Amino acid sequence: MKKIWVVLLMTGMLISPAWGADTIKIAITGPFTGGSAPMGASMRDGAMLAVTEINAAGGVDVNGHKMPFEVIERDDEAKNERGALIGQELASMKDLSGVIGSVNTGVVLAGDKYLQEKGITKIITPAAGSASMTQWSKAGVKDLSIFRFAADDAIQSAMVVEEAMRRGYTKVGLLFDSTNYGVSGRDDLMNQIKTQGNKLQVVATEKFNIGDKDMTAQLLRAKAGGAQAILIWGIGPEMAAVSNGMAKIGMKVPLIGGWTLCMSNYIDNAGKNGDGTLMPQTFIEDPITPKAKAFIEAYHNAYHVTRIPSPVSAAQGYDAVYIFAAAVKQAKSTDTHKIKAALEDLQEPVKGVIATWNHPYSKWNPADEQTHEAFRRAQVVMGVIKDGRVEFANESDRKQFIENAAK
Amino acid sequence: MITAQIVVSGALMGLVYALVAYGFQLTYATSKSINFGQGELVMLSAFFSLTLLDWGVPYWLMVPGGLLFGVLLGLFVERAAVRLALEQKSEGWILLTIIVGLLGFSAAENIWGRDDRPFPTPISSDALHIFGVSITPVEISVAIGVFALMGLIELFKRKTLLGKAFEAVSADREAAELMGISATRTVMLSYGLSGLVAAMAGILVSPITTVGPTMASALILKAFSVAVVAGLDSGFGVVIVGIFLGALESLTSFYIGSGWREAPGLILLILALAARPNGVFGKAGIRKV
Repeated sequence: MKKIWVVLLMTGMLISPAWGADTIKIAITGPFTGGSAPMGASMRDGAMLAVTEINAAGGVDVNGHKMPFEVIERDDEAKNERGALIGQELASMKDLSGVIGSVNTGVVLAGDKYLQEKGITKIITPAAGSASMTQWSKAGVKDLSIFRFAADDAIQSAMVVEEAMRRGYTKVGLLFDSTNYGVSGRDDLMNQIKTQGNKLQVVATEKFNIGDKDMTAQLLRAKAGGAQAILIWGIGPEMAAVSNGMAKIGMKVPLIGGWTLCMSNYIDNAGKNGDGTLMPQTFIEDPITPKAKAFIEAYHNAYHVTRIPSPVSAAQGYDAVYIFAAAVKQAKSTDTHKIKAALEDLQEPVKGVIATWNHPYSKWNPADEQTHEAFRRAQVVMGVIKDGRVEFANESDRKQFIENAAK
Repeated sequence: MITAQIVVSGALMGLVYALVAYGFQLTYATSKSINFGQGELVMLSAFFSLTLLDWGVPYWLMVPGGLLFGVLLGLFVERAAVRLALEQKSEGWILLTIIVGLLGFSAAENIWGRDDRPFPTPISSDALHIFGVSITPVEISVAIGVFALMGLIELFKRKTLLGKAFEAVSADREAAELMGISATRTVMLSYGLSGLVAAMAGILVSPITTVGPTMASALILKAFSVAVVAGLDSGFGVVIVGIFLGALESLTSFYIGSGWREAPGLILLILALAARPNGVFGKAGIRKV
């Protein structure tokens, strides 16, 4: 019995470190292992890069007193139940200033309600499923502490449908995985096809499960219907199986889908079959601006890679930390409620690697989720996979980005 | 033509189910025990083979290396989880093989990480068109590999002395022991062969499925259905049922809808258990009381 007490005491000492009163305590959560890990780990690494930079400069100026960030990491393994547990744990921390992260829509739905209850400020990035924010507008929440820093699925699905129409297609096949993300993506695409004038005929609506490898039957249905493109919503490994299946049955039509198509586990597993795949991107690993160049180089050097596993996640994680830091500075406090109020009315523009963020959020309005969404259509571009790297699909977008940065 | 394509693609996946099911069948024949961690053996062998490739071992040398690793794993399972339980005539092997499997799963997660990784192969994955059906050389290699390995093992069981000992123990363990055949060694042999089959399955399917800790978790359930439906005594029964199940799955997802893909396998399993509890190709066992 005595031994048990000793062990308990020791673990107690290990898990309750003495938090100094002069740090800004934030949590970074996401799947750092598993199929979504390229996004989760890149987001974390990008965010840590920003934290390191800020701390190296002494920290954030809080009411004339420089305070560094103190980061706790939680791996949700892309599992909804882990998301709920982590949400409860973070909600019970008294001195937590905020949370950044989450990749999976299901995890967001399971965990964020605990943070919202306590009014803990969270910036969701890079989870893009519409439900992450619409759950609050549907519930009619008056005061929301959850913000999003990702191109939401509504923007993305609009771009996917736009791209298919721009290329003159009239018939498309729709493939989606059976997760929350896939199913809500299907609904978004269907809605977009309707709102953009019903010019695309959906010849096949097909589902696949996580772990499926043989997509022949689904693809043949699309092929038999005469699909000129496959619109897809899922994550890396299964979408790679779709690309490989298309190559097998000689289906030479482009795959257009959510931004997850830029995940390294899609690009690597699809190999040359992934060439020509199109998806919306908020950041492309192309050193077109000095800021982007510095960020890419810093990432490569810090983590000893030649390719960022998920450039979008990394850049969003990085910018999210800077936006959060700006809110702390403006709030002149580490109190999460004051930071929330500051985020809703950021005065100073934040120079990020994706864009310069001018007043990214405004006061929450349950009738309009856009008040807590930072990204607009203008910050998102179409990317295309070429030889295992994501590039700008349209040269005009590239020029536009260089010009925007020069402003 | 589309139907032919669907049947071929599905049947090829079915052959993989059959190969894994064959691994169940081998050990069940000699010892009436099954390695519930067979899927982990498939996965561990695939990871080990991938590591050999990463070390620069050429593909054709990697294959025997991977197979040998599979045999060793099979022997380890037999020694660690099955032998004592069998000696004591207990059913402890059920839990023990599951535990060894879980151990293997955790080990793989820690050694190789949880990501799905591509498995390079010199065999092309550009599709060939045979009578209007698209099929890739990788898929053909799966079919050839499955048939070759199963053929060789069946031949071994029928033509060699050791193989005949294997058959004898399968037929009647006590009688075989009275004839001077060591049942323990024969069970070891069957687990070694079962590991070999698992490794072969891993090496063959990895280029198609990619390698990851969960690569075999879906596979193993299907293989188990195949083994039960076919009957655990019939080597070639599993091939027929495997092909049938694979084709049926693909046909269902094409003609009924991709959401119904898993349904026919389960219905088949229930029907088979209700109508022929010993399996479609199984022999009705006589149990003396």
